[in-house]
Amino acid sequence: MPPATPLPPVAGIGLRSPHVAQVRRDRPPIGWLEVHSENYFVDGGPALAALEAIRADYPISLHGVGLSLGSADALDAGHLAQLKRLAARVEPALISEHLCWGRIDGRHLNDLLPLPFTDEALALCCDRIDAVQAALGRVLLVENVSAYLRFASDAMAEWEFVAAVARRTGCKLLFDVNNVYVNAMNHGFDPRVYLAAIPGEAVAEIHLAGFDASGPCLIDTHGTRVAPPVWALYRATIERFGAKPTLIEWDTDLPGLDVLQDEAAIAQSILEEADAVAA
Amino acid sequence: MPSLREVQRRFVAATVFGDSGALAELGIVAGALDPTARIAIYRDNALGNYRKALAATYPVVQRLVGIAFFNAAIDAFVRAHPSPRGDVNRYGSELARFLAAYPPARELPYLPHVARLEWAIDQANIAADAPPFDPAALRAVPEDVLGELRFVLHPSAQFVVSAYPIFHIWQVNQPGHAGDDRVDLGEGGDALLVRRASDGVVIERLAAGEHAFLAAFAGNRALRDATERAFGIEPSFDLADVLRRHVSAGTVVAFLAPSDVSSWTPR
Repeated sequence: MPPATPLPPVAGIGLRSPHVAQVRRDRPPIGWLEVHSENYFVDGGPALAALEAIRADYPISLHGVGLSLGSADALDAGHLAQLKRLAARVEPALISEHLCWGRIDGRHLNDLLPLPFTDEALALCCDRIDAVQAALGRVLLVENVSAYLRFASDAMAEWEFVAAVARRTGCKLLFDVNNVYVNAMNHGFDPRVYLAAIPGEAVAEIHLAGFDASGPCLIDTHGTRVAPPVWALYRATIERFGAKPTLIEWDTDLPGLDVLQDEAAIAQSILEEADAVAA
Repeated sequence: MPSLREVQRRFVAATVFGDSGALAELGIVAGALDPTARIAIYRDNALGNYRKALAATYPVVQRLVGIAFFNAAIDAFVRAHPSPRGDVNRYGSELARFLAAYPPARELPYLPHVARLEWAIDQANIAADAPPFDPAALRAVPEDVLGELRFVLHPSAQFVVSAYPIFHIWQVNQPGHAGDDRVDLGEGGDALLVRRASDGVVIERLAAGEHAFLAAFAGNRALRDATERAFGIEPSFDLADVLRRHVSAGTVVAFLAPSDVSSWTPR
């Protein structure tokens, strides 16, 4: 299989539809762009045409939200075929999905739902990742998700589950620092223990986003700036893994592109500090 | 220990259907927050996502009934019509049918018709592209076989027919609309063509003959048959004018000559 990461180890931005026209017109200096794969599971039209125009100027990452790798239902062959068709069209630098489930008995909840960290779930996720990597003919990145509950049936810690998936399948990891922090706060563990358990050579991308802290539990809304403790954890992450392509994600209450560029500039400065130390 | 399938079934029962027995059997670790509150976060997320996604597809339906009514209807719709795919953008085709049988919407008989129009607009936006019509190819067709040609409509072209003035209802509920927003339900129905043009989705009212003519092509019929149908409905049907307009506007993108017919497969 070809290597998974031709993306440069610089900061990128999650491209959302309200910013597409501006990016297409102004071509702002952004290291790379990530889009949600499913938004382009279309036969034609203006959204796909815009992506095809933009991909000429930026490396693109396809980030899936609906493949449901951890579902007890069979893998959705139609969904996988759509992803494959889109990948052929866009030729992304990398393709990622989430380590979660969304569908059971034919009903999709179109959400990133938490898995019990059991041997059964681990084996199933690994089988699915193997199947997806075989179908796409390339390495898949899988992302750790935020969770608002955990199951008494867990046989291992989340970080053991994530590390085992990478080790068994050879897939790469999309390490979401915000999700690690949210889960650490919600479930009471030390995020540095999580970080220490992750095999650095498997990490091919990093996500950063903001959470909502107004309720009894942190919610991964992607609706604010990256929180200071998440920046601190990100520094620790880069110190441990070296510079990796890092994405600013923002989905709800989307601000102007300049705010996302500000956040990307902070990530970029942290990446450059790491480079300076390494050099 | 429950199987993964059992866990996932219980999760759906607890979130989407509020089943407290299933919630208790999930084996959620309580910690600082009880399991009911944890499941409520997922229920609110999932239902909130559908409300948001379907409000984007059906903004006029939402405006006609108000946000609270819309949200309750979407929650009920989600329970009755599961999303089958991981692509939420394709979800909601059955909302019109659902609303037609939804008792709280009984007093708004035009609501499902407006929903059909909004779904057609949504689909027109993502339909396949097509190369423009080639007039030179048409000029090369011998006159005696013209009647056998099957014209091909743009992949985005859809017809929405209603006994209610749904286009007028749709227009007065657009964000930029100013002025009189009253619609007389007795003003008559609509036969609408929804399609994507180069600058976006357009909606146009069709005359009866024009509708019969274009719909015949969508039904894989030849020009002769389409023309007969149009004249049968509207004796003053102007074939040359209608065909010219829809070719130049991009409704009609190609034609299939009789020799192609065997290889023609309906979309």
